[in-house]
Amino acid sequence: MADLDVHHPAIAAGDAHAFGRWVAAAEPELRVSLRSFAAVADCEAVLQEALLRVWQTAPRVEPDGRPNALLRFAVRVSRNLALSEARRFRTAALDEGAFERALDDVAAGDVPEGPDPLLRRAIEACRDELPEKPAAALAQRMGAGGAEPDELLAERLGMRLNTFLQNFTRARKLLAACLEGRGVALAAEWR
Amino acid sequence: MSDDDEALIEAVAGAYRERGPRGEVRSHPAWHDLDAAGREAAWAAAAGSRAMEAALDPQGLSSTARAVLARIRRAG
Repeated sequence: MADLDVHHPAIAAGDAHAFGRWVAAAEPELRVSLRSFAAVADCEAVLQEALLRVWQTAPRVEPDGRPNALLRFAVRVSRNLALSEARRFRTAALDEGAFERALDDVAAGDVPEGPDPLLRRAIEACRDELPEKPAAALAQRMGAGGAEPDELLAERLGMRLNTFLQNFTRARKLLAACLEGRGVALAAEWR
Repeated sequence: MSDDDEALIEAVAGAYRERGPRGEVRSHPAWHDLDAAGREAAWAAAAGSRAMEAALDPQGLSSTARAVLARIRRAG
């Protein structure tokens, strides 16, 4: 288990590479901490905005002697943004208990360290088995790195937007089935 | 679930988000067209996709992470 605060001094000094290393490990924890907000706020937008704010305010976050002070701060920023969005959209009530449990896990230092190389090889092997069009849709989104809209990616492949999205769904489901066939356990929701 | 619902879910599960006039990250327009079950499904699809992207990336970065880092570097 990792204490991601090892990256905090460099992040506070403005090192974007250090922030990248921190984000690589922190993002799954932050995303899970927002799970209970999924029906009331766009968690992807909340998460990106929270990460930008963490970068901006990291120099003012003080260590408190417990692991993952910056990650705990990020969980709180994410939660407050999600609550703000939920109020703005006047969406449903929230499961506060789930958020508290996520914060407890982070405080205990339960942060996994980086991707599993065996998982990477399994995904690569399954990706190589995809049919042409789903593979192309997957490659476009991965190559875009969240910087280009799907409309543009679809146009690049000569597809209508809905066709592009259907191919991406197909790629995701085929990958999930292939990975399960190779004994890789996936979260039930991803199938 | 209809094909239209699946397309909305997949759209929301992507990492691209528009920026507002003050630079804030905006919710995906399709998110507002989903019901609660669809929004939960989009969250799960995004979580799975980001895990896969990070596993394949040499630096362990998902498209969410890359979008944020690109924004930081542009601002710097």
